[in-house]
Amino acid sequence: MVENSPSPLPEREVYGFPPRRPVFFLSSQFGFILYLVWAFIPESWLNSLGLTYWPQKYWAVALSVYFLITIVIGYLLLFGINIMSSSPLNSIHTITDNYAKNQQQKKYQEEAIPALRDIPISEVNQMFFLATK
Amino acid sequence: MEDERSFSDICGGRLALQRRYYSPSCREFCLSCPRLSLRSLTAVTCTVWLAAYGLFTLCENSMILSAAIFITLLGLLGYLHFVKIDQETLLIIDSLGIQMTSSYASGKESTTFIEMGKVKDVVINEAIYMQKVIYYLCILLKDPMEPHGISQVVPVFQSAKPRLDCLIEVYRSCQEILAHQKATSASP
Repeated sequence: MVENSPSPLPEREVYGFPPRRPVFFLSSQFGFILYLVWAFIPESWLNSLGLTYWPQKYWAVALSVYFLITIVIGYLLLFGINIMSSSPLNSIHTITDNYAKNQQQKKYQEEAIPALRDIPISEVNQMFFLATK
Repeated sequence: MEDERSFSDICGGRLALQRRYYSPSCREFCLSCPRLSLRSLTAVTCTVWLAAYGLFTLCENSMILSAAIFITLLGLLGYLHFVKIDQETLLIIDSLGIQMTSSYASGKESTTFIEMGKVKDVVINEAIYMQKVIYYLCILLKDPMEPHGISQVVPVFQSAKPRLDCLIEVYRSCQEILAHQKATSASP
């Protein structure tokens, strides 16, 4: 029985998820190994190899901390932006908008499902709250 | 004829709705908000004074303590006069219009009147408020340009914020009056 699903198969899990674009995968792995080398190996060993022009090691920790804090603030910022951009209670946008105003009225056909349209709020209210409670 | 029932607002506080039927064409709804509780007042006063005392121990300047007392007093007066609404009233008169009155805890009253010619309908709308979705009653005003358009939305009971059961009661009474008004205005 041949499984053609893209989900990780048991024998493939050792190697990680099969990549769709090997270029991105390999370059990101290479970048990560390079970052680890730069962060952990002391300056003197790198200098003895002849690689002298590196940024200060301070940035190895600082950049990761900056990145993590950006993610945390991003969560809070997104929540705040969502709340700020919801319309106030007295805005006309809670009731209707340009699409609803300019919608076409289709003719009613017998025995057919009625066409989809935006029903005015007065009718909706009458149906919900006035009809037999 | 008067009628009083108790409901709750969106935060769970208790509201009292008083309905007065003056005549078939004139009705009044009065929503009373819960009063300023002693517990919250003492909590706020204690926090402000503790913070001021903390600052005083840092700065050794006794002006901070008297400033804190002044700020608490002025803040309380300002809150009672500008923010804390005691009662909200909606008065509908068939051929005349709709009047909304808010009375503050210090006795101040602010009134808004909308004449019946401008009123298109009174509906219960749902909208996002902070992190909740709430039902609120609002008056839709007619657009002079378009016959079926809406020019403005005026929410009522903004500080009491009752829940749907209370809103349905008010909505049904308003719709009776509006239907009565349309019937009498349609017939010559």
